[in-house]
Amino acid sequence: MIQLRNVSKIYQNGARALVDVNLKIGKGEFVFLVGPSGAGKSTLIKLFYRDETPTRGQVQINSKNLVRMKDWEVPYLRRGIGVIFQDFKLLPNKTVFENVAFALEVIGVSKREVMTRTRVTLELVGLASKEKSFPHELSGGEQQRVCVARAIINNPALLVADEPTGNLDPETAWGIMDLLYNINKRGTTIVMATHARNIVNKMQKRVIAIENGRVARDEEEGGYGYDA
Amino acid sequence: MTLNSTRYVLRETANSMKRNPWLSIASVLTVMVSLVILGFSVFFLANASNMAKSFESQLEIATFLQSSVTPDQLQTLQSQIQGMPGVASVTVVTKDQALIDFGKTMGGAQSNLVTDLGGTNPFPDKLTVKATDPQNVKALADEVSALTGVDKVRYGQGYVDKLLKFTQWLRWIGLGVVAAFAIAAIVLISINVKMNVFSRRREIQIMKLVGASNSFIRWPFLIEGLALGLVGGALAASIVGVGYNWIINYVQSTLTFLPVVQNIVLFRQVTGGLLLAGMAMGAVGSGLSLQKFLRG
Repeated sequence: MIQLRNVSKIYQNGARALVDVNLKIGKGEFVFLVGPSGAGKSTLIKLFYRDETPTRGQVQINSKNLVRMKDWEVPYLRRGIGVIFQDFKLLPNKTVFENVAFALEVIGVSKREVMTRTRVTLELVGLASKEKSFPHELSGGEQQRVCVARAIINNPALLVADEPTGNLDPETAWGIMDLLYNINKRGTTIVMATHARNIVNKMQKRVIAIENGRVARDEEEGGYGYDA
Repeated sequence: MTLNSTRYVLRETANSMKRNPWLSIASVLTVMVSLVILGFSVFFLANASNMAKSFESQLEIATFLQSSVTPDQLQTLQSQIQGMPGVASVTVVTKDQALIDFGKTMGGAQSNLVTDLGGTNPFPDKLTVKATDPQNVKALADEVSALTGVDKVRYGQGYVDKLLKFTQWLRWIGLGVVAAFAIAAIVLISINVKMNVFSRRREIQIMKLVGASNSFIRWPFLIEGLALGLVGGALAASIVGVGYNWIINYVQSTLTFLPVVQNIVLFRQVTGGLLLAGMAMGAVGSGLSLQKFLRG
């Protein structure tokens, strides 16, 4: 699914975000990325949906080479990847329904299909009753569910999440994790960067620790591994 | 592009024009001003060159003969010139006729005129040559002046040249003014589009994230620029159209001797051209501001 070979990323200001990273993530896996702030987790995630390109090395998603990819091919790559953010990135002047439908509208899906698929997806994340609400009328957890709905509506093979529970209280966070767990069960590969120790420890999934831009640890059914 | 996308694009275009109404108005007005100037310049130049042409066509070569030329030689010269290619007509004004004409303009007392002038007729024989094509006047005049018996020719040398040079200058000045305004219009449109891109950056970020194609993201902005340019062009076309008709009517009723161009084909070409030019400005303006963003 995802393969990184000798990937280094040096930003223009000279910051070395990633150093010689080698990584393989299989189809259907659930992977936590852990590590201190600024260790390179976000950069790594951005490589997956080609928000960044590596300074050196190769990135492959579904055996597609993202380094050699042309600009016009990028939108088609992204249609197969869902992205979830810590700050949700919802459009404030659109309703819940419109926010989710937006992801289909802008790739030219027919109106009728947009309607049905948006309904089904909102049902899936448990927000069917709130479809007419605006984001500011929702709780943090509900807003994150909208973000998840928007990320999965196109049935992506890969879902990447950058601290999706970072702004949520523990109970709400677990609601989101249940949702992600179920999405993963349906076959979607999930890569999630997080600082949530108890979630990582409890889920017992593969854990990749990034420190100073390098892979410091990579274990199946691992734990968070950092002291509080 | 599918129908769904078209609907989306048109809605977004309308929204973004509502977002910055003053900037939109300013863009439209600059496009309009530049195109009004352009339109009037074109009509003005069309009239100027039309006028130059009508002056040219009235040009004739006055050929003055040497005083030693006999009436027989005069006949020969006339038929000789008549036979040259590009000559439309040759009329003879003999020295006697010239004297009579002169006397007429002086009024009466013709019998005394020759004695008053010292017993000799000071007028030379003259051949008035008309060319079929005003372009040939100069070449023809050179040819005629080379004939034996011809003293000198006169055809308003430099007169036409000056007029043409003047219209040439006008053309450059007009072009300069139009170019300056066009650049201003393009800059304003591009600022307009840039501001709309900025105010919608969140939306654009999400569009890119969920895989909207670059062309899909660009279309609303391109159409916005086109629409601004088109509205400016349409305003300019109506102003120029109405204004020019008004001027034509005024000139024809008061300065009847001036030849005005009243050509419906030219009129359509100019107004249509203004519309196209407006759209082109819009396209260039929005294209400029979209070039840098939306990579990857």
